[in-house]
Parts: sequence; structure tokens; C-alpha cells
Amino acid sequence: MIRAVRRASAVVVCALLAGACSITDPTQQVSPAVYSPAHRTAADAAREFFTIRSKPEQPIPFPHKTHIAKKALCTDCHESVEKGPIAGIPSVKTCMICHSQIATDKPLIKQVTAYADKGIEIPWQRVYGFTHESHVRFNHAPHIRASVDCATCHGDLAQQTVAERSVNHTMGFCVNCHAAKKAPNDCLTCHY
Amino acid sequence: MPHRWGMTVDLDRCTGCGACVTACHAENNIAVVGDVQAAKSRAMHWIRVERYWEGDFPDVRLKFRPVMCQQCDAAPCEPVCPTYASHHTDEGLNAQVYNRCIGTRYCANACPYNVRFFDFYNPKWPRPLHLQLNPDVSVREVGVMEKCTFCVQRISAAEIDAKAEKRELKDGEIEPACVQSCSAKALVFGDLNDPESEVSRLSRSTRGAKLLEELGTLPKVTYLARQTQV
Repeated sequence: MIRAVRRASAVVVCALLAGACSITDPTQQVSPAVYSPAHRTAADAAREFFTIRSKPEQPIPFPHKTHIAKKALCTDCHESVEKGPIAGIPSVKTCMICHSQIATDKPLIKQVTAYADKGIEIPWQRVYGFTHESHVRFNHAPHIRASVDCATCHGDLAQQTVAERSVNHTMGFCVNCHAAKKAPNDCLTCHY
Repeated sequence: MPHRWGMTVDLDRCTGCGACVTACHAENNIAVVGDVQAAKSRAMHWIRVERYWEGDFPDVRLKFRPVMCQQCDAAPCEPVCPTYASHHTDEGLNAQVYNRCIGTRYCANACPYNVRFFDFYNPKWPRPLHLQLNPDVSVREVGVMEKCTFCVQRISAAEIDAKAEKRELKDGEIEPACVQSCSAKALVFGDLNDPESEVSRLSRSTRGAKLLEELGTLPKVTYLARQTQV
């Protein structure tokens, strides 16, 4: 009896996953040469549904803590945060402004210099960011102007080495802050 | 006072070139569904140019009418939505929230203007054409309804800019993609709550009429009737 129930529930779950990634119609399957918002696999769809995300592996373990301790500001590297929607991950050229002179003998800095010498960017991985299906259009600049502290959404980076997803950006998290600060809370503020 | 966004369409000026349709597709990441789906009336155009032939050959005249979401004040699409995906904002826009939409398609059935479109399949772009997608607008997935938003991403961006510069929005500062691309300047967009704005002035014109006004949907798009006999 229990086995039958278990089997039935497994069938239901499979059907739901198949629906979630729309693999029901073979003509609508997506090849890598085509861009589509469809989930590649049922597992991808399930991960997105349960908001399970892999931990980003950075090419160089960038120590935020060390830089903040040396009085570097967030805006020194994440330059466009006050100007537009995207805060910006710094170019290797930004690193070299300081590190062509400072701590050049450290092994990690040598790795950075190697990237700069080759003229290629460091392949930093995104830590935060909304999923495709959340349909969120986020803009950093108005939040900075409303003097929201970076730490409110990104955690205290003075305590972190490699940036971690220490704050969970759920809709409740955004809406509560918007309500408290009397910011617009209409759906169309973020979802369009 | 909150804004109340509206549009006027001067039918005397419209040449039927279709630039608005193209601009809308590019701005809003609207999928091209292909011939098979289009034959099933599943083509998606948030704005379309309707053609009307009048008279008998050789005395025929061709009239054009661009039709987009009329952003009705008493919108028939809104009360039928079971999930409030289709709702009215403070600025009078008929918003469509893709996250909430479960694809019942009641709204499209209720809309008398036929300007709501359902994503029957996931949209596809052959790489690298996906790089031309507008990052300010969602790419809608299968199973949601979509429609003209009056380019809310541009409205929102202009409002943020104006607030940053601590000033009021200027008339004509916001141009949806269709208005921007209209070479004949047939389309005018603006704030209906500002009596001095171009769109207010034009919508008070005696030439003005609303589409299917008798249904009581209170559209915010005014059509200015043709006067010339070409």
C-alpha cells in the first residue's frame, strides 16, 4: 500500500517536473545554439523552484575583509553602483591601479598580474542576482540615493573574505523594507 | 498628484509604415512565433497596424489604425483575473505581472481590443541573436499572458532620473518605443493629469474618439479622426 502511494507520488512529481521544463513537446526542445528561457533539464527546473543554488567558485579567493580594513570603499571597485542598475564587477585594470605597486610579491596578486599581462579579465562568478523566472528588474542607484547601506542586502563584507550569499533576497525581504521606508510597493515597481 | 499616462493616435498622420510594430518587438523582447503558430492566431504584436479598405475599385482608399493596449480605466481584463496578475496601478496603467500569471487566458477573452497575447511556447532566439534582447524587460516564458505596458521600463527609468535630479518630469520626456520610432509623429504619449501636456491638448480635440467607447471601458488612448481626403 505504502509502496503504491510512493510510486504514485513519484509519477506526479515527474509529471510536474516535465511540465516545468516543458519537455512534453519534443518539437519544442532547445538546442545549445538557441537561447530560450526554458529550463535545460528537469533538475534545473526543480533547483530553481526550490531556490537551490550552487555556491559560486571564484577563480581567485578575493578577500573583501582585507580591502575594507585598508579603508577601501565599496564604490572604489563597484563603480557604477551610484549611477545605474548594475553595481559592476571590476575589471582587472581596476585591480592593477593599486596592485601594480602594492603587494606585488604576494602569490594571489601574482595571479592577478598574470591575468592583466595576458590582457584577459578574471572570470569572477556572480554571487547574487535574481533568477530568470523571478522577472525582477533591480536598479542599484535609487537604493544608494535612498541611503540604503550595502550591508543591508549584501551582509557585512568586512567580516567576509570571498563574498557569500549571506542575505536571502526573497520578495518578503524587499517588500518589508519598501513598506518601512514608504517606497513604492506596487508590483510594477520591480516586476516588468 | 500621480501621473495618468495616456496616448493619442493621429490617424491623419499615420502612414501605416509599421515602424512602431518593429520598435515594439525590439524594445519589449517580443517573440516571433513563426508561420505555423501565426496561422493559429498566436502571433504576438503588442501594437499592430490595422488596414481598412474603403470604396470600390478604382475609387479605393486605404486607412490605417495602429492598435495597442488601450490601458482602460475600467478594464474588462482586470476583474476576471483570478490571481490579480492583471491589475491597475496608481498611475493608471494596466499592469501584467508575469510572476502571478497562471495562464487562464480569461483576460484575453475579456479584452474587446484583442491586444493580449499568450505565450503558447517558450520563445527562442538563435544565438547570438539573444544578445539583442533588452535587459530592462523580462523575457516571458511559456504559459503567461503579455501585453503592451506603455514601455513601463522607460517610464520607471525616467522617474528615477527625475527624482535623482530633484525635478518634475517634463512633458515629452518619456517616449515609448512606438512613439519614439513614429516618423510621422502620429503617436503622442504623456501625462493626462497635466492639462498643459501635448497629449492632454490633443485628447481634448473635437476630432478625438475612443475605440469601442460604447462598451464603457474608458480607454486612455484617443484616436484623432482623419480629415484629409487623399
